[in-house]
Amino acid sequence: MHANKPGTQTQYHEVIGRPRGDVPKNPEAVVKARKMLTDSLPKIEMNEADAAEGGCGVVGLASEIPIAGRHLFRSLEQMRNRGNGKGGGVAMVGLDPAQFATTQDVLENSYLVAIAWVNDGFRDEVESKYIHPVFDVLHTFDMPVLEDWTSLPALEVCPPAVTCYWVQPTESGIAAMFEESGMNPGDFTDEEAIHSEYVYRNTHKLNVEFYAQDGRADAFVLSHGRDMLILKIVGYAEDVIKYYCLDDFTSHVWIGHHRYPTRGRVTHPGGAHPFGQGIDVALVHNGDFSNYVSVKDYLGQRGMEPLFFTDTEVAALGFDLHHRVYGYPMEYLIESLAPTSELDFVMLPEEKQKIYEAIQKTHIHGSPDGPWFFIIAQGAGKGHHRLIGITDTSMLRPQVFAYQRGEVAIAFCASEKQVIDAVMESLAAEDSRFWRRCDRYWNARGGSYTDGGAFLFDVNKQEDGSFELVMTDKFGGLVDTHPSGDFSIMDAAMTCDVNWPEEGDAVGRFEACVEALQTMDWAAAKTMLSEIHTYSQQVSRSEAVHCLQLLLDRCYATGNLRRSRWLDHVEDALVEILMSSGSAPCSQFVGQKVPGHRPEPESVEQAIVVDARPYPIEGQDSLARELIGLHQCGWRNFHVILCQGHRFIGNGFGMDTDDVRIDVYGSVGDYLGSGNDGMTIHMHGNGQDQIGQIHKRGTTVVHGDVGQCYGYGAKGGKLFIRGNAAGRPMINSVGTPKLVVNGTALDYLAESFMAGDPLEGGGFVIINGIEYDEKGEIHAMETPYPGGNLFSLSSGGAIYVRDPHSRLSASQLNGGDFTDLTPADWAILEPLLVENEAHFGIALAALLTVDGEVKAPEEVYRKIIPLKNKALSVEDAWAAKHD
Amino acid sequence: MAKEWPKPSPKLLEKTHHLMHDGFHQRAFPDTAYDLPEALGDARWTDELIASAWYMAETGECPDHLNYKTGRSGGGFDKLEFKELPADQQLPADAEVDITLELNRRGDDRHKRTIDVPWYGGGMSYGSVSVNVMMSRALNAKKWNTLMSTGEGGYPPQLYECADHVITQVATGYFGVEEKSIQAAPIVEFKYAQGAKPGLGGHLLATKAGEEVAKMRGSVPFVSLFSPFPFHSTYSVEDHMKHLDWIKTVNPTAMMSVKVSTPHDVDMVAVGSYYAGAHIVHLDGGFGGTGAAPEIAKKNIAMPIELAIPKVHKFMQTEGIRDNVTIIASGGVRTADDIAKAIALGADGCVLGTSDLVAMGCTRCSNCEGGPSGRGCPWGLTTTDAELQEWVQQAWGADRLDKYYTALANRLKQILRELGLSSVGELRGRTDLLRYIAGGE
Repeated sequence: MHANKPGTQTQYHEVIGRPRGDVPKNPEAVVKARKMLTDSLPKIEMNEADAAEGGCGVVGLASEIPIAGRHLFRSLEQMRNRGNGKGGGVAMVGLDPAQFATTQDVLENSYLVAIAWVNDGFRDEVESKYIHPVFDVLHTFDMPVLEDWTSLPALEVCPPAVTCYWVQPTESGIAAMFEESGMNPGDFTDEEAIHSEYVYRNTHKLNVEFYAQDGRADAFVLSHGRDMLILKIVGYAEDVIKYYCLDDFTSHVWIGHHRYPTRGRVTHPGGAHPFGQGIDVALVHNGDFSNYVSVKDYLGQRGMEPLFFTDTEVAALGFDLHHRVYGYPMEYLIESLAPTSELDFVMLPEEKQKIYEAIQKTHIHGSPDGPWFFIIAQGAGKGHHRLIGITDTSMLRPQVFAYQRGEVAIAFCASEKQVIDAVMESLAAEDSRFWRRCDRYWNARGGSYTDGGAFLFDVNKQEDGSFELVMTDKFGGLVDTHPSGDFSIMDAAMTCDVNWPEEGDAVGRFEACVEALQTMDWAAAKTMLSEIHTYSQQVSRSEAVHCLQLLLDRCYATGNLRRSRWLDHVEDALVEILMSSGSAPCSQFVGQKVPGHRPEPESVEQAIVVDARPYPIEGQDSLARELIGLHQCGWRNFHVILCQGHRFIGNGFGMDTDDVRIDVYGSVGDYLGSGNDGMTIHMHGNGQDQIGQIHKRGTTVVHGDVGQCYGYGAKGGKLFIRGNAAGRPMINSVGTPKLVVNGTALDYLAESFMAGDPLEGGGFVIINGIEYDEKGEIHAMETPYPGGNLFSLSSGGAIYVRDPHSRLSASQLNGGDFTDLTPADWAILEPLLVENEAHFGIALAALLTVDGEVKAPEEVYRKIIPLKNKALSVEDAWAAKHD
Repeated sequence: MAKEWPKPSPKLLEKTHHLMHDGFHQRAFPDTAYDLPEALGDARWTDELIASAWYMAETGECPDHLNYKTGRSGGGFDKLEFKELPADQQLPADAEVDITLELNRRGDDRHKRTIDVPWYGGGMSYGSVSVNVMMSRALNAKKWNTLMSTGEGGYPPQLYECADHVITQVATGYFGVEEKSIQAAPIVEFKYAQGAKPGLGGHLLATKAGEEVAKMRGSVPFVSLFSPFPFHSTYSVEDHMKHLDWIKTVNPTAMMSVKVSTPHDVDMVAVGSYYAGAHIVHLDGGFGGTGAAPEIAKKNIAMPIELAIPKVHKFMQTEGIRDNVTIIASGGVRTADDIAKAIALGADGCVLGTSDLVAMGCTRCSNCEGGPSGRGCPWGLTTTDAELQEWVQQAWGADRLDKYYTALANRLKQILRELGLSSVGELRGRTDLLRYIAGGE
């Protein structure tokens, strides 16, 4: 993934923005002119309470083919719990001219100024002041709206009517701008830059007069840019799609955003996201700045005045300032937002360090401090469309990136994996070029030297008129989005020629499948799955389920087939078999017939299959509460299928649940297995955030990656992760929890870890630092832990790292120390790694093999223990004396 | 691992009992040979306020010879007094006055609870105080039909006998948080911050985290325990809502309380907490805290509670949600007069922490960590030392609190009668009844 070193390629970034590669001629003149402009306009007083921001839920996509708005609908609906209906919005880049009754030529060669009419009756006045006298209007389009807004039950306020104007600055207007501002054409690189500044200034004047002045909020500009449009309402984002009839409107880049403002009363959508203050840019944000005032002042010193008083607005203004006025390349722009620090800074090439230090020193007051995740859509006309996701340095907000490349490619950044999967499901249902599972899902590492915590997805028009998706990281390094394997589905064959073992358990069948798969085409592979289905009907449902679980969970070579599409089919087959137990129950499986159906279990071994889809994600009637109810009815084994962001699964079962086992499939929500006191949980796929919070006993196994804050405050039990953990895993754990991470963690692993001495039964974490190649073989990562904070401020427990080449350095520790592995350590590690092998098929022998040679454990694993804190040594000495 | 402490001998107990129960605190009475010790108290918790609390805890009455109403801090509650009404507008001394407080105003189907007095006991964890202190408070809360909070240190099994009067606290370190105690609680309290030390979190020294404490917190003995300042899983209001949803999944009937300190935007924090589902917004001002909170933090970071209450009260009124939420104030609430003033400023009720300890004999000597020995409080309050904790017996502690609450309740009723109000609810937000005391210290 991080194959691209910093600074290798930057040309991809500059497709949009400064294609001519020139440094702006005279940014000071532009800034000075802006100061004059704001001084000449009425001063806008900020109401302190208006500045507060809340949380949010976000999804963004970029696609090689135009995507219709309806595909975001389900996704946004499933993410309602990240908003509160007080602000929703969408952004579109790469529009279809026909849908706006215009031509491609107009779209590409003019600015689209979209104006929201919050209060009726100001259109003529606005047009006569800020449209007709200053622009040549090439085309005008009133957005269609739903006839009766009250038919959308979540809406409390009627959304504004919206008019789109495709405009070009008039020559006389430009001349007047130079006249009044003191700028001259020589201050700009080219005509386009002049035009953009002209549009920017006009919008600011309009917004001051009709929106900000005296708090009148009659009309404001939603967005101003090439080939891009923002729409927003007081409500949920999916209602934007409904209200403005966007079901069939298409674009190459979409952003959907739910806002959760802290305040209750919101009367107009001025504060909703996306923010379109920057030319060609739509910016949404999840999080909160703690230095809003500082950023506001920083902008004020540069002639920019916020009018909407949310932290997102200042982010949009800052982005525009650095991008368009200062002309920073995208890499430096991202650095000015999310500064690189600590170890990551040291890891940068010296030349880059110099530049970054200068950027940080100059712009730190304009750098948003606190938790944030930006998703930015950028247009430029001329067939260049872009989606950017940037996470803050500490990765304090949830973020998932993903892509799928079949005949066409699509890429995402979002708050949760489940909202990406919801879009893919909607697309796959309509268009056979898509399937439901993305090729890759990952998290960015904020402010890092590896990926810079940011990814850019460019969709560029090719000579033949088609589009190509290109992905780059912060440094401009090209990231490969071309996984191997055939993705063109064909019909099932008559036979598949698998040599099914005569006798043999699920493992034997799984191995036979994998062997046969190596030479199969799609037709045979599909037949193989249907033979497993037949086996489930005729011989053993549980053996078939187990075999398919292994096919779903394990990493193995998938022959000629694209892995993600193959797994999509495997999961489908598995779900189908489990679903069939609804109409045809057996001694091993019973399916819930309807939501709330609670049959009596025949035996303690019998499992109940629960379809998650009809249940709310949280609340009184949620899936989690239903599972508690089934547990109270005597059920001990659960298969929870088709999760769509369902939260709190396995919570609330109470104490001593040793006889419970839960298997979870689909896109699970947050807090899986929180409070576990004995049960066994298997997540067959990636997990989300806050898994295993206050985990006390039992076993939690995730066959994939996990999100943020894994195992927060865990007290005990065994935890296994096949892949990676995002930020802040095992923070504040105490007692005896034992975690194996086979990949790595982004940062802040086991901060304030307070477990007991592992040699006395206390808790610890094992990091194996391995990854899989496409053949399913394991390799050591470049470093087992890339972050700058490992085991910080810990007072107990230990970390064991598979680090045969001593890649980790003391500078990554903050209160910990390296020490040698002893046989006593290995005696506690070995059984856990044996269990790890049973869960994931990661052979203990393979872990002990380094560069083809089997080594002794102490040559492979290093141990990190907490450094005694000086301030506490007096007390510790006293305690030791009284032991 | 830890040494078994011998139980104190009956002789020692007798001696200390005399010292504790009849000796030192006897100085609160006017007719003894002793004056108040010179070093007792400070401007906020004056010697007279401390001695008054002892007097109330012994007698159930307010002392005539001591100022039990205000301190000498020169600010806040100490510079406020109630206006005197003409006698004909006051209620007669025998008039019934309602001082009960309904805590669930959201009108949802969750637990309803009316407590008999408009205050309850704040969180002091097992580990920071002993089981005897916790049980003294819980038994008294049961008697007074009010509540007390566990703090962040787990739920000692003995508490279950008072479970209906015990608030389970979930705080940033998640120490001792398990589903059983969440499911047993009528109210679950999320502690985001303490007014005494916002931004700092908690720290239990290794020596105080002995075997019993460790067991309760799910930790191992004699490992230093930190509560971080933030919930690392909660960096935004939608995370907070998710957090409350988690508790609602585990216990669908519990009320939710959100305890926050008082930053400059406390009004926003409070409103956000309400919209996320809180029944009680608990504001903890900057003047609370025992000797375990760092001196540099106390009084110096959070906003005084006297400023925070009206700020939140007014903002909630403008938002139109004031009557759907209960605002509880703490952080420097020492007396019945303080409680009445806090309510007049806009709170619904108060939380007492330090006052409970003072009633049980605390001298405010700030030696809560117990010096180099680390054994804890010399009066057996903030300690889990096997010997020291014997000095506070449960029945004795509960009895002192019972008498103390009697005196507080009577004084509060007296204030209400003098203001011509027949219920404490009528006092809420009546800043017009308050007067600033000009001049003086």
